[in-house]
Amino acid sequence: MADLADEAASLDGYFSDAPLEPEPKYPPLNESFDRCVIITNLPKVPEAKYEKLGKVVLKLVSRIGPLANYEGSDFTGFFMPFDKEAGATVGCAFIEYETAGDAKKAIEVLEEYKFDKNHALHVLPHERASHLADVEEEEFKQPEPEPFKEQPNTMSWLEDSCQRDQFAIRHGKETAVFWNDGREEPVLDYDGAREKEAGVAWCEYYVQWSPKGSYFATLVPNRGVILWGGDNFQKLQRFAAPGVDFVVFSPQENYMMTNNNNRNDPHAIKVFSIQTGKCLRAFPLYPSNFLDEKLSEQEKSNIPPPPFQWSHDDKYLARMGKDLISVFDVPTMKLLDKRSLACDGICEFQFSPKANIIAYWAPEHKNQPANVNVIELPSRKSLRQKNLFNVTKCSLVWQENGEYLGVKVTRHTKSKKTLYNNLELFRVNEPGIPVEMLDVKDAVMAFSWEPQGSRFAIIHAENPTSTKVNVTFYDMFRMSEPEKKKGKKKSTGKELIAEVNKVETLEGKQCNCIFWSPAGRTIILAALGDSASGTLEFYDCDNKSLVIKEHYRANQVLWDPSGRTLATTVSQPIGGGHFKFAMDNGYIVWSFQGKQISQQSFETFYQFQWRPREKLFNKKETAEVSKNLKKYEKQFNAFDEAKKRKLRLEETRGKRKNRSAFRATLARLKEIRSNMKQERMALLNGYDSEDEGNFTTKEVTIETILSSKEELVY
Amino acid sequence: MRPILLKGHERSITVVKFNFDGDLLFTASKDHIPSVWRNENGERIGTFNGHKGTIWDLDVCRFSKRVVTASADASAKLWDCETGECIKTFVHHGPVRGAAWADGSNMFATISDPFVEHNAQISVYDVPENDDPSSYSDSPRLEIDLPKTSDGNVSMLPTLFGSTSMKLSLLPLIMVQSVYMIRRQGRTDFTAKLYDVVDLKHLKTYKTDRPVNDAVISETKDHILLGGGQEAMSVTTTSGKVGKFETRFFHLVYEEEFGSVKGHFGPINALAINPNGRSYASGAEDGYIRLHYFDKSYLDMKDPVPEVLEEGEEDDDEMEEDRESDSDSD
Repeated sequence: MADLADEAASLDGYFSDAPLEPEPKYPPLNESFDRCVIITNLPKVPEAKYEKLGKVVLKLVSRIGPLANYEGSDFTGFFMPFDKEAGATVGCAFIEYETAGDAKKAIEVLEEYKFDKNHALHVLPHERASHLADVEEEEFKQPEPEPFKEQPNTMSWLEDSCQRDQFAIRHGKETAVFWNDGREEPVLDYDGAREKEAGVAWCEYYVQWSPKGSYFATLVPNRGVILWGGDNFQKLQRFAAPGVDFVVFSPQENYMMTNNNNRNDPHAIKVFSIQTGKCLRAFPLYPSNFLDEKLSEQEKSNIPPPPFQWSHDDKYLARMGKDLISVFDVPTMKLLDKRSLACDGICEFQFSPKANIIAYWAPEHKNQPANVNVIELPSRKSLRQKNLFNVTKCSLVWQENGEYLGVKVTRHTKSKKTLYNNLELFRVNEPGIPVEMLDVKDAVMAFSWEPQGSRFAIIHAENPTSTKVNVTFYDMFRMSEPEKKKGKKKSTGKELIAEVNKVETLEGKQCNCIFWSPAGRTIILAALGDSASGTLEFYDCDNKSLVIKEHYRANQVLWDPSGRTLATTVSQPIGGGHFKFAMDNGYIVWSFQGKQISQQSFETFYQFQWRPREKLFNKKETAEVSKNLKKYEKQFNAFDEAKKRKLRLEETRGKRKNRSAFRATLARLKEIRSNMKQERMALLNGYDSEDEGNFTTKEVTIETILSSKEELVY
Repeated sequence: MRPILLKGHERSITVVKFNFDGDLLFTASKDHIPSVWRNENGERIGTFNGHKGTIWDLDVCRFSKRVVTASADASAKLWDCETGECIKTFVHHGPVRGAAWADGSNMFATISDPFVEHNAQISVYDVPENDDPSSYSDSPRLEIDLPKTSDGNVSMLPTLFGSTSMKLSLLPLIMVQSVYMIRRQGRTDFTAKLYDVVDLKHLKTYKTDRPVNDAVISETKDHILLGGGQEAMSVTTTSGKVGKFETRFFHLVYEEEFGSVKGHFGPINALAINPNGRSYASGAEDGYIRLHYFDKSYLDMKDPVPEVLEEGEEDDDEMEEDRESDSDSD
């Protein structure tokens, strides 16, 4: 007993009722399956080929990242089930990656991967797959299609019997759309009367027409964009885009892009489908890595965000990134072929207005000379590359038909002290895209192609700050017979030679902008802006006739789409009410010959925009019309006269009514006055100042008094 | 026809006025010396020397015998128009802003600015033509105190008549021309407004894009002339084109601007149309008076709406060509 007690004593404290310490440390149970993905749509193969398929798949998935691997377990992170009854694989595989990031990447990269001719892979995260497994299967019921609702005819305005053009203005709190026939004062079409009655604002910010004029977008920054169209501007669609600053329509009017200019919003730019009203994709203002991290916030804010550009056929949407152009396929909004277009050092790119061709330029970069590249999509074939040296800046200007590309190159001398210009002119539609170089000794301030034509105009001067500048016209074609120079260069006569030649120079002009008429031929040389005089010179390039007008402080020149009339405006930014903008706000509408049609002034004038219209006639049809112009002229003149007369009569009637009302007031007042006549006469000692006979006799006396005064002066 | 440029004043013009017969033009400026000119050829006939301050207003009596002037030297003076001699000085408490003869030329009224403890006031003086000037009383026959808030300008009158129950017979006493009067709000909202003087009812508004300093109704035509331009204080910062120192011609009834006359290089302060309707004068901040004679085309100008109903006016269906010409002046 004693030794038992001894043993007990020696073991005292050895056993205890307290739980064992420390508890074994198990690694925390990872219940998340976010490292797992499931690949389906694999080929179903018999047992003989099981291993081979396994190897191929394993190789493919391992390229994304290492697979999970567990010590002491033979699970390799890859499992491909085999259906023994069917004697073939099920067509799917389970993959577990080491990290969740790789799993995510695998979903992005392998989704729709063309495994072979018949099998495009479908990759699911585990979570989604397990959710799908739980979904109860129901018999699919065809949903009832929504009852067909007739959409307003957005082309109805084109059926106007007088072929008038429309424009929209924003002034004060008003937004209004007018008809303009190019002869008389514009006539109001719609000014939001319906919305005013309902007590809602139909526009709180800027407005935007779509490129073919079908839609009228009004911006309400608190909510988004509203689209109007058809007769009386019915509401067609609403797009939620808080803080929207401006919208860009795609050229074929299928899509619309809103932009709120907010650097911190990851959804600053949204692309909508106009028909469905759905947002297809949102983008941040800047592409990733576009802004150099090393730059300060101040410097960053000085870099403008690269704009998105639509291709002419709505197929692609492109944006410049760092050393690349991201081309998105529309409407899937995925990167075209899943990769960007690599363009080392790219500075600017421009889509051709008529073809899926991109032109871009990059400055000197890593021992490479500066270059201009012309690339075709979607093949990504480089059609033409031109290297340039000593380049400071380039700007790319497409001709409206996409036939020519002009590149204004600003170059510096070796010392980098003086700058000079030359123009590189690409003939895009000719085989091999020949490039011609045009040396301009002077500084070139503006460059503009004649729409539909082969001519272009530049403003140049020896010193970019000088007030007197020269305007020179060039033609991409030359007539071989010099005496035939006057003929239209557009016709494809035999004597045309594809060679740039100078047409003429207008010297000593006071202008800083040039605006070709959309119909060609007429060009406006304008001096716009605060410091300029607002001189407008209407120049007819064929007749060489010049008309000079002025719109003081004008800051915009806007041609209507037909080229019949143009508007000059003095406008101020919305919300930016600085006093220097506050004077003379308003617009003037001119005919293309420089005749003033209408002038309107407003306290605050914000925006003027013509409704664009599609050019439906081709060159041949246009020529046909101009041949029979005499016939049409008669018809139109008669119509105009009738309309004019009707208008005048209406106005006369209104004025007559106005006048008779005024005359009635006047008669009443005169009566009151004549009732006081006695009183007045008493004051004049009985002299009646209204008696004409009385007046003349008195006049004689006054004349003698005057002559006596003359003696006094001598 | 080119206007006659009357150079004689050294400072900005404050008032121009024709006499009833339209052969004399009276002008005053900030240079203390009112002048009288011959309307026919722009010759200066004489001056009225004696004031020691800006002349804000003047008026000439019905028969061009006597002239009354209102000056910032706190006095109004009565002059003999023929000799140019001062007949009598009427001392006020504050700068005198306006002066006007009553019908009969035996009374005139003045209106003065508030000064220290004195309110703005309208004073009516008795100056019977046939009496000896030495017998004229220094104190007015009638005094109306105006509330302190008013600026003492004659253009305040419509509100004044509305608030005080003055006898209607006093109305022609002070009122300038005709059965209507114009209220100028031009400096702030760039308009001139037409009221009737009996009910003070607003009749018409004439809109411009620059401050309006004066407006005058033609006695021979349904026209109203507006003068003004950008404020003098901001003129130096902009070019002359921006100022729009123009006389604008509006149709009295249709409120339409149909013409304008340029020429001044400061805002126009004063306008007057000759009662015979053949000439008009404008005086501006630049110190010049421009005496314009209307062209024949203006004098022949007809109302754009013919008195006789036009063919088809009541009936839209007729589309025959029958045009009348709207001729514009200047």
